[in-house]
Amino acid sequence: MIWEAFKLSLLVVGVATIIVAALGLSAAFILAKRNFPGKELLDAALTLPLVLPPTVTGYYLIVLLGRRGLVGSYLYELTGWTLTFTWQGAAVAAIVLAFPLMVKASRAAIESVNPQYEIASYTLGKSELETFFRITLPLARRGILAGLILSFARALGEFGATLMLAGNIPGRTQTMPLAIYEAVTAGEERQAQALALLLTIVSIVAVYATNKLSRSTIAG
Amino acid sequence: MLSVVIKKRLGDERREAFNLDVSFTVGDGTTILFGHSGSGKTTTLRAIAGVFTPDAGRIVFGGEVYFDAEARINIPVQRRRVGFVFQDYALFPHLTAEQNIAYGMKAEGKREKRERALEMLALFGIEHTRRRLPVEMSGGEQQRAALARALASDPSIVLLDEPLSAVDSSTRERLLEEIKSAQRRSEIPFLYVTHNRAEAERIGRRIIIFSEGRVVEEKELND
Repeated sequence: MIWEAFKLSLLVVGVATIIVAALGLSAAFILAKRNFPGKELLDAALTLPLVLPPTVTGYYLIVLLGRRGLVGSYLYELTGWTLTFTWQGAAVAAIVLAFPLMVKASRAAIESVNPQYEIASYTLGKSELETFFRITLPLARRGILAGLILSFARALGEFGATLMLAGNIPGRTQTMPLAIYEAVTAGEERQAQALALLLTIVSIVAVYATNKLSRSTIAG
Repeated sequence: MLSVVIKKRLGDERREAFNLDVSFTVGDGTTILFGHSGSGKTTTLRAIAGVFTPDAGRIVFGGEVYFDAEARINIPVQRRRVGFVFQDYALFPHLTAEQNIAYGMKAEGKREKRERALEMLALFGIEHTRRRLPVEMSGGEQQRAALARALASDPSIVLLDEPLSAVDSSTRERLLEEIKSAQRRSEIPFLYVTHNRAEAERIGRRIIIFSEGRVVEEKELND
């Protein structure tokens, strides 16, 4: 059970972190660099999963993506496939819950880069996109990396929304946090202990790495 | 020749508005924009570079219209071919002197860029900073690298915004001469913003004096 849950968590969290990195960075770039009506409202909406109880977020995910959901029903009709009770469903839950952390940290990091460097790059003939990748991103990398680590940790610990959308099927959707819950209810102390210890170590390493990165920021 | 006619109202309801309303032309050689801080020199320079949009007016350089409020023309900064030297240098902190200088080069190929960057470093006497990051360089070295970077992008005009205000006086003397010879070598016009009278008189022949958002005097100095 431990090994299976560990492997599944690795898959779910790996996929979720990659997607969160790409989507979160794009959203952070747009929020930091573009002005449009409703911008702060969009930011607030994206932040919502951070404050909502995860089960509530999970409930909305079912309403949206479940087999009879607003979007999910079309997906089911087209492909005969549904997110519920799949590892992909667990990944979607992890993505939605971790996304706000990535956006918040990356937006702050991007906005902390002195705009003078970006202007200098423009006067040297570089487009906004090239400037972002060659100047802004490297200078904001520590804050962005810190956001990525926090997102990874959040995805790893995801429980409530995962349970709602993907269920708790050993070997299919039972990630480590769910396996701990099951081990405790089944009275399997040793397994619960081992899993809890494993997750604690990962979390400590994540916090330590984040602190170290955010303290030695050079983006001036 | 560069011809500038711009108007811009700055500020908001709470503070007293600042009105920029200037008109002047810049020929060959080095032209000075002189005035106290807050007189609109830097804003004007940023408008010419295209990183600041005036409310009204026209900016034409060498027959090419960079900005025309009425005709709704506003050429993006990337296509204006201006080199900009910033007051605080604005060298990219994560790149070495060599990488900074090569950054804006139009040349193809890594090797060609590298060779040209080395030439520029040698020209400004800072070959030894080649692999150094800006934090590892002195103020004078950073200023030389910033000027080299601006020239390496093959501009048609160089705009310098108080380029010597952050270096000590002995370095300033030497840099003044280097900027003068860089201008002569490159054969493109330099537009030089300063509030230091001694600096103004030493570097350029033509001085445009700004005060409270207006041009109050234009004069030619004799060498």
